[in-house]
Amino acid sequence: MIFELNGKNVSFEAIPSLTLLDLLRNEFGLTSVKKGCDQGECGACTVLLDGMPVNSCLILSPQVEGKRVTTIDGLSENPLMIELRDAFMENGAVQCGFCTPGMLLSSYSLLRDNRNPTEEEVKMAIEGNICRCTGYVKIIEAVLDAAVRIGPD
Amino acid sequence: MKINLKTFVLPFQYNVDKSLEYYKILEKLLNRNEYFVVGKNLIRSDALDKCLGKANFTADYLSKESLIVKVFRSCKSHAIIKNIETSRAMNIPGIEAIITARDIPGINQIGYALPDQPLLNDTKVHYIGDPIALICAQNEEAAQKAEESILIEYEELKSVFDISAALNPDSPLIHTDGNVAVTTKIRKGNIEKGFKNSNVIIEDTYWSPYQEHMCLETDGAYAFPDGTNKITVICESQSPHLVREKVAAILGWKLNQVRIIQALTGGAFGKKDDTGPILAAYAALSAKTLGKPSACIYDRIEMFKTTPKRFPAKFIYKSGADKNGNLTAIQVYITLECGAYANRAPFWLWRQTAHAAGPYEVDNVAVDGRAVYTNNVYGGSFRGFGNLALHFAVEQQIDKLAYELCMDPLDFRLKNVLKVGSRTTCDQILDHSVGIEKCLKSIEDASKWKEKRVPIKNGNTLKGWGIGCAYHGNSTSRSTPDWSAASLLMNIDGSFIYRTGICELGQGSPFGHVKIVAEILGANIESIKIEIPDTDSTPDSKPTHGSRGLMMGGTAAADAAIQLREKIIKIAAEMLDCSLKLVECKESYAYNKENLNKKIPFNEIAEELHIRGLNPGAYGFYASPKRNYDEETGLGINYSVYTFASTIAEVEVDTETGEISVLKIWPSMDVGKAIDPIIIEGQIHGALSQGIGFTLMENVQLHNGNILNPSFKDYIVPSAFDTPEVDDPILIEEAYKHSAFGVKGVGEPSIISIVPAIVNAIYHATGIRFNTLPITAERMHKALKEVKK
Repeated sequence: MIFELNGKNVSFEAIPSLTLLDLLRNEFGLTSVKKGCDQGECGACTVLLDGMPVNSCLILSPQVEGKRVTTIDGLSENPLMIELRDAFMENGAVQCGFCTPGMLLSSYSLLRDNRNPTEEEVKMAIEGNICRCTGYVKIIEAVLDAAVRIGPD
Repeated sequence: MKINLKTFVLPFQYNVDKSLEYYKILEKLLNRNEYFVVGKNLIRSDALDKCLGKANFTADYLSKESLIVKVFRSCKSHAIIKNIETSRAMNIPGIEAIITARDIPGINQIGYALPDQPLLNDTKVHYIGDPIALICAQNEEAAQKAEESILIEYEELKSVFDISAALNPDSPLIHTDGNVAVTTKIRKGNIEKGFKNSNVIIEDTYWSPYQEHMCLETDGAYAFPDGTNKITVICESQSPHLVREKVAAILGWKLNQVRIIQALTGGAFGKKDDTGPILAAYAALSAKTLGKPSACIYDRIEMFKTTPKRFPAKFIYKSGADKNGNLTAIQVYITLECGAYANRAPFWLWRQTAHAAGPYEVDNVAVDGRAVYTNNVYGGSFRGFGNLALHFAVEQQIDKLAYELCMDPLDFRLKNVLKVGSRTTCDQILDHSVGIEKCLKSIEDASKWKEKRVPIKNGNTLKGWGIGCAYHGNSTSRSTPDWSAASLLMNIDGSFIYRTGICELGQGSPFGHVKIVAEILGANIESIKIEIPDTDSTPDSKPTHGSRGLMMGGTAAADAAIQLREKIIKIAAEMLDCSLKLVECKESYAYNKENLNKKIPFNEIAEELHIRGLNPGAYGFYASPKRNYDEETGLGINYSVYTFASTIAEVEVDTETGEISVLKIWPSMDVGKAIDPIIIEGQIHGALSQGIGFTLMENVQLHNGNILNPSFKDYIVPSAFDTPEVDDPILIEEAYKHSAFGVKGVGEPSIISIVPAIVNAIYHATGIRFNTLPITAERMHKALKEVKK
């Protein structure tokens, strides 16, 4: 089976019961995708599937055939992600770091489609990403700050 | 050899003025109008890797060949094990070993405070989930099959699932020495006289339940053999040296045969202090038995169902005050539920006992505490360590007294709070670093408290404001000696390696250490790398708990930095041809303060250091000042210093649905010295969020020892939508004399003060008091119906 992973076509042997999360971690060594609950509840395993944030633990690997999968690793040079990352670091939005890749991907997806989100829209975008360290205050501030940094189109 | 602790009391043995307190020593030594990095907001050194997904947590280290270690657990809450049958499981293809108690080469004991907890049980089980065997398998499927094939013959015993049942004289004994694991006591002043002089007395009972940490990363440990007589374990913990001690004892090995590497940890909040040694021991047992890499990684359900939670506790309070609003006496009975094992209960109970009066001066105090076993999951460390539950009770008592006396709850607190010269619950005289009064006054102003004394009814909503205060002793209880260590090495290129056993758990404490080191050395912060804790090279800094990580560990860092600084300055003075006093270091250059033309980079100094044969390393050591404590009365200098906090909360209650929203919070904290304000704010925000969760939504549901809601889906923790507006935290800096720059611990107090602040605000809004948590919409709705609001 073939799919696009971080901009490159990759192939793997289809195992019906294998989740996308385990595929990415175990077969492709992408440990930036974290396993926090394996039940689709914590958001630590968030990846972009055809650009939309999904819990990779809820996707079975055969479902990604022919699709585009993006992890945080694939966006390290992306200008929007760089702004977002800098905003996270400067606003103190990073503590233990376990939720951070997923949180950044959900926030990235928001800002890509909406360059001027309200606080409510930020909360909505990251509602599925649990963070137990920050209380979300500085994460929300960081996303809003990133929106200011990137400015309108 | 008996160590004479007296020799450890003074932090310095070299060329500094010992007559000065520590924070003065640094002030004098550095003589800077403005610090370079201390007190400034910097980007944490670990932030970039975490943002890039390049930060490695335990499960990220696993090799594909690693065996799976699965724990076989009891399905009974209380039973004698008659027989363990593993032969069928052993024959399953892919099973490499089934390890039971008899296979443990060393001591089968993992109890923290008391030796009541076998690592693997072979005689009795004490709760649903008690470990019996380790299944070491090549794959998950084999492990699951084996789990279904192990047969245990039990003789069931009667179980007890609450403290009153456990205290019943007919109750079955969970452990051999009775169901009371430990007791505590304080007697101060004259309690009868105190109540006689009281004009108002409030008596009430409170129950603080379990709370699950819900660290985002599940527990894990990965062990692999290092030759034939050494094991390395990569794991999460809060004290790698404690893990080493426990693992070595279980393997029957010397400490130097076990190497513990602390991986980055995805949230701990106390949990990993307890689970760290256990999982490391499981993985290490498999690696030693089979000579193969072995990993024990819990899934969310196993972690939730079987690992320690916040200890539940019951408080019976009687508090008195005179008509002028002075507290006169308190009498408190505390019953702590240990669950199946004592674990940290003696320390937890002691902390509650020692803080029982709250951050107030009360002359007459009687406290009696006991910790009781039940057949529920056992309790353990959790942010706030006993003080959260205690303040939930005491801060409501204070509020009730204020209302009874028709006094403003904030004014009543101001009248009674601890001040310089006050005596604590334990009669400890506080001679400095007491910032609670400033905390209170600062948020009184920030929140415009006086304008908010009337609750607001608006359609279906009721709005109210409440206040909560907290104090939390830093470091060890009961005057137990405490010390910490750190090491610092200057490489030949002028870069540094900093080593501390204080763990990075998200709180950023090691980065705080590095800021202290950079400030003292005048080094570039980027030039100092923090080594992840590795017991083969990292000194034992003692655990990352008890609000001691920065206060103790950071001061040990300062000690190392001062030693190295002395050498750097000495060489720089000769190279610059000036007196020692004129040398200043900044951004990894040394220069003459009176002649800025010549600057010597640290790489040249480092080279010179090596050439001259001066030791380029320093071992920092710091011990708390000596304290004392009387066993009989419970009085004495229990804690080195206290962190204080106060918080105001604005809540809105929907009278139709019972839904409670925290709208705004005004937090303040006396932090001693803010090394990194933005990190402190992060600690405050995170603690507030966990406190909101505990107060309003988090609810561990137990039925006959079974946990019914072991997932994020059914155990609700705050999401982004539960984030209230938080006013800028006000940081008060009442420096602690005996720590580097005056720092105190900041991770815990905000969770302690937010809980009563919300509960008191709910009372202000609705006139309804709640003596147990969480106050869910359902409970609120029911309570409103009862009072017909």
